Amino acid sequence: MFFIQISRAQQSTAKLISVNFQQATITQFISELESKSSYHFYYDRVQFDSLKITLQVNDKPIETILDLAFKNTDFYYAISQQQIFLTKGRQIKTELATGFLEVAPSEKEVKQTSAVADYTDEKDKKVPEATTENKLYEIGIKTNSIKQGNAILTGYIRDIKSGEAVVGASIFIASSKAGVATDKFGYFTITLPRGRHTLIIRGLGMRDTRRQILLYSDGKLNIEMQEQINSLREVKISADKVANVRSVELGVTRLDIKNIKQIPTAFGEADVLKVVLTLPGVTSVGEATTGFNVRGGSADENLILLDGATIYNPAHFFGFFAAFNPDIVKDIELYKSSIPEKYGGRLSSVLEITNREGNKKIFTGSAGLGLLTSRFNIEGPIIKDKTSFIFGARTTYSDWLLNLLPQAYKNSSASFSDFNLDISHQINDKNNLYLSTYLSNDKFRLNSDTTYSYSNKSVILKWKHNFNSKLYSVISGGMDRYQYDVSSTANPVNGFDLAFHINQTNLKADFNYYLNSKHTINFGLSSILYQNSPGTFEPNGSRSLVLPQVIATEQALESALYLGDKYDVNTNLSISAGIRYNIYNYLGPQTVDQYAPNLPKEAGNVLDSTTYKKGQFININQAPDIRISARYLLNDNLSVKAGYNTLHQYIHLLSNSTSISPTDVYKLSDPNIKPEYGDQVSLGFFQNAKANTIEMSVEGYYKRLRNYLDYKSGAVLLLNQHIERDVINTDGKAYGVEFLVKKTAGKLNGWLSYTYSRTFLKQNDPNAGELINNGNYYPANYDKPHSFNFTGNYKFTHRYSISLDIAYSTGRPITLPIAKYEYAGSERVFYSDRNVYRIPDYFRSDFSINIEGNHRVHQKTHNSWTIGVYNLTGRQNAYSTFFTEQSGVISGYKLSIFATPIPFINYNIRF
Amino acid sequence: MSCRKSYNPPAIASPNSYLVVEGVINSGIDSTIIKLSKTVKLSSGTTTNPVLQAMVFVQSDQNVIFPLTETTNGNYVSAGLNLDNTHKYRLSIKTGDNLQYLSDYAAVLNSPPIDSVSYDTKGYLTVPGLNIYVNTHDASNKVLYYRWEYQETWIFHSNFPSYFKSNGDTVLIRDLANDNITNCWGNYTSSTIVLGSSAKLSKKVISNQPIIAIPSTSEKVGDAYSILVKQYALTADAYTFYVNLKKNTEQLGSIFDALPSQINGNIHSVTNPTEPVIGYVSIGSTSNQRIFITKKQLPDWVTIPFHTDCELAYPGVPCCYYVYPPGPPNQVDAYINYKKGGYLYPLIPINAIGLPGHPPIGYTAASRECVDCTLRGTNKKPAFWK
Repeated sequence: MFFIQISRAQQSTAKLISVNFQQATITQFISELESKSSYHFYYDRVQFDSLKITLQVNDKPIETILDLAFKNTDFYYAISQQQIFLTKGRQIKTELATGFLEVAPSEKEVKQTSAVADYTDEKDKKVPEATTENKLYEIGIKTNSIKQGNAILTGYIRDIKSGEAVVGASIFIASSKAGVATDKFGYFTITLPRGRHTLIIRGLGMRDTRRQILLYSDGKLNIEMQEQINSLREVKISADKVANVRSVELGVTRLDIKNIKQIPTAFGEADVLKVVLTLPGVTSVGEATTGFNVRGGSADENLILLDGATIYNPAHFFGFFAAFNPDIVKDIELYKSSIPEKYGGRLSSVLEITNREGNKKIFTGSAGLGLLTSRFNIEGPIIKDKTSFIFGARTTYSDWLLNLLPQAYKNSSASFSDFNLDISHQINDKNNLYLSTYLSNDKFRLNSDTTYSYSNKSVILKWKHNFNSKLYSVISGGMDRYQYDVSSTANPVNGFDLAFHINQTNLKADFNYYLNSKHTINFGLSSILYQNSPGTFEPNGSRSLVLPQVIATEQALESALYLGDKYDVNTNLSISAGIRYNIYNYLGPQTVDQYAPNLPKEAGNVLDSTTYKKGQFININQAPDIRISARYLLNDNLSVKAGYNTLHQYIHLLSNSTSISPTDVYKLSDPNIKPEYGDQVSLGFFQNAKANTIEMSVEGYYKRLRNYLDYKSGAVLLLNQHIERDVINTDGKAYGVEFLVKKTAGKLNGWLSYTYSRTFLKQNDPNAGELINNGNYYPANYDKPHSFNFTGNYKFTHRYSISLDIAYSTGRPITLPIAKYEYAGSERVFYSDRNVYRIPDYFRSDFSINIEGNHRVHQKTHNSWTIGVYNLTGRQNAYSTFFTEQSGVISGYKLSIFATPIPFINYNIRF
Repeated sequence: MSCRKSYNPPAIASPNSYLVVEGVINSGIDSTIIKLSKTVKLSSGTTTNPVLQAMVFVQSDQNVIFPLTETTNGNYVSAGLNLDNTHKYRLSIKTGDNLQYLSDYAAVLNSPPIDSVSYDTKGYLTVPGLNIYVNTHDASNKVLYYRWEYQETWIFHSNFPSYFKSNGDTVLIRDLANDNITNCWGNYTSSTIVLGSSAKLSKKVISNQPIIAIPSTSEKVGDAYSILVKQYALTADAYTFYVNLKKNTEQLGSIFDALPSQINGNIHSVTNPTEPVIGYVSIGSTSNQRIFITKKQLPDWVTIPFHTDCELAYPGVPCCYYVYPPGPPNQVDAYINYKKGGYLYPLIPINAIGLPGHPPIGYTAASRECVDCTLRGTNKKPAFWK
């Protein structure tokens, strides 16, 4: 188009020509024009053999004729005196400077309105090379005139260096507010009006890029993006700077591993889960727990997925470390409110952890050394550009740490390790295979007596198939296992071995159908077969007199069908609505007790017990779940969003330690244990300021819970043949408001969040055997009304930066023994109402300095150091409180784990 | 890096003195005993804290009053009340500091008679032993819940039979008829709460409700054993109270323990309705039954004595103590005659050493706990003993 302007400037003595072409070839076209004018044409016939020209004009200059003939194609002409050069596409190169201006203004505008000090100024940004950015891509079946209407463009967005999929990148055209994001395979589908467009592509941690396209009809375009090496300029929290305001979802946060790595952690190693705790609406019950609570949900109400595999114990070493290797993880995404239809089975949240794909072009790797752990990763192509692998391993040497713990933990030892091996393979344009495997092991011994060990194992195979530009599917199958084992041989007579495991086999089919520019439809089905062993207790050693005790294995099938639609009503209003239909079957072999109606579930009230055969359906629970969210744009930078969702949960964690510990039991719903149910309404306002560099949000929610499990007094959870006799169903409510301010660019970036939230439970069924707190609402164990977090990073130069982390929260509730007395022949302890007291408030601040090695690109290795202090003020936060009796006197104690400032250092190397 | 510090929040450190009421209003001919005490704080060395000088009476819904009189240790007693079973009753307490407490009105719920107290020798889990059961039923189908208390009595023997006794100055022959310290009766009153329910059954029968399991090695089953089982009828409310009390027992509130819950009884403060009051007062008669079991009725079990380290001769200490040993001093005076010798733990003489017809030249002896069964029981035969 700009060539036309140039050539017009040259035109002075125009000779008028009349022509009439019907499907003319380029040869016919040119010989006609050469015969009617004095111009001579230069061109490559091969390039033009697909062009057919239909044109009728009378008495027009040659420029006009050429304009019309080449309109909406990527053929260009240049007139130089009596010569006309015809070219295809690439001639843009010579006229780059002028051409670039056309897309530049939008960027200029950003710069002008940016009030944030931007470290990287213009001189750092190289003028784009004549890369693909300025090439015009023709898409679809070419015609010389563009038809009316829309066409669909699909494709993959990949990292140019590693060939890895770029997830969550947004693709949009400057002229419209409509945009789409890539899925976890880097795949996108967008509907655009036919014709010429400039696509703008933005990805998390990637340099913004653009593509010129000429869209004739439906077609494909794969786009490669460059990594944003200079992370000073933009530390993006969100994939798309405008996603905060524009996306339909509420309560969704995506964090890139780069953000995660900036946050100081106890031992200097980036911790995926600790970062989650800094987000609004997320709390934990204690210092060294990796179990977390989202919007007043308990720790087992979070579905933790590692590349689609369910991870039951996401922590190593009493919860000091997340069980995910930070060198392998690519990003995490937490859904607190708008949980996509394809997920279910948990009440509170979904935490999706996505691993990187191996580098498809070259072999690279990294290694890290810390005070407690070392890690290593290597990745590379198996078949270049087609198949790649990534392998990661971590191990620990943490025994010295245990020697710093109180006397009670002397002679203890602990070790852990985890391994990832992922392979991705591109079969062809339409088919991709992804294999992910994961193994984690933990083993610790307290006081040379009892050995605890636990392990997660997962394998998952995914097959992505593109049917056409509108429909694709992902079929996946896999197995997840979580097991633990407690054994002791300290006293040969009492030597025992206690084992537990969960086995789940998953099968899933997800379909994504891009109906048109207004509707994107998701549908699919999934099924999980559980085969759990709730506990076996066996003698350990030949002299052991322990009697074996085996709790019958449990089987269940949890299936779901779902259908969802994202509907863009207009540019301002978007609605996402879906339904998930859950079907849950408890399966034999099993013996199930029936209790007398309206009486507590106690041994004395068993009416009958029924034995079911293998594979027999014992009961069926069916229930639909609803997911709705909507967004309305009030203006370009301000939106309001609302959502409602319902969820069911069929697997329950039984834990009396308020966090996840290796002796907890997972129990499946059965005829005596009802599925948990929850629903949530939420409303939020989202605003971006200062050219999208500051994101603000306020979100409020109200949640109801049904059949949440709490425990009867003196409940025994381990090796209990009849767990239903020790648990009670409670109803709950949770509400809160979350404030978040994020700064995503500039020397100083980070976020600040404050959450006010409450969670209450109520047990008022007089038939349950006991009322808790007279049947009134009482705070849940993890009810922490006030929670404040600050996470900030300040860059002095490219090489030096500092991070500061501040966390404050109200202490969690506790039930205290407050007096003792004699009754019925024994001394007894009198307890307060449940959870009426609180442990002291929690406060912690951490600081770290990050030093990058030099930034020369062509060196063999890149290294970096992290030095810092955890718990800067040395505050003695309570990890646990406990009471012991010594010579008739009961005394209370508070145990603090990180009671002093803890310095740490970490060395990382990349090759 | 980590530390353990004393944790003493105000809720624990404050006196936490709440009224505890224990007892049953006996509607029949047996006496009614109500025990009043107050809770003490956890750090207290003693748990006994009786409430003295209170005014306690039973009150009917017709406002008939039956006063109880204070005895010792916070016990308030009345002889058989013989209450009219058609009325409801409650307990009224006015403490010395003028605070008033009332229990909820409740109907009289009399315990049906115990059908039998039975036993078997199957043992408990893997431990062989004696199991005691109770069987009862309520012909009127009114009583669904029960509580039992028991008193055990058994004969046991000291490790060594003593035929001599020191009066402090000299060793005399023991009066075995009146001063036997070899054969005693031990006794134990239940300290665990035994509960039973027939609520789920179509016929309101309690069959073979376990009361206690005694291991075969216990000295309780070494000679003769007797158990008295007392049966109380409970309302559903009272049953729930005792179930919770049982579960809350002995556990401490560490975060790794099961969550306790507060005990709610049927007694309330009139002065301050939110003040916790511990205890449940039920109204009704009790029924009792006693059985005897002798060693002949049991398998050939070997019992383990209470003290397992009793020997006549200790390493380094001779078995025998002589008046005139191969040389002075007089060992009998030194070890046995406690007024003469300075030995801190005088030994009890067992048998004489010497030629028949001559004064003993010495005695065998052992420490008191090996010889004197009255340290752990009584040598007075209980009135009920057959």
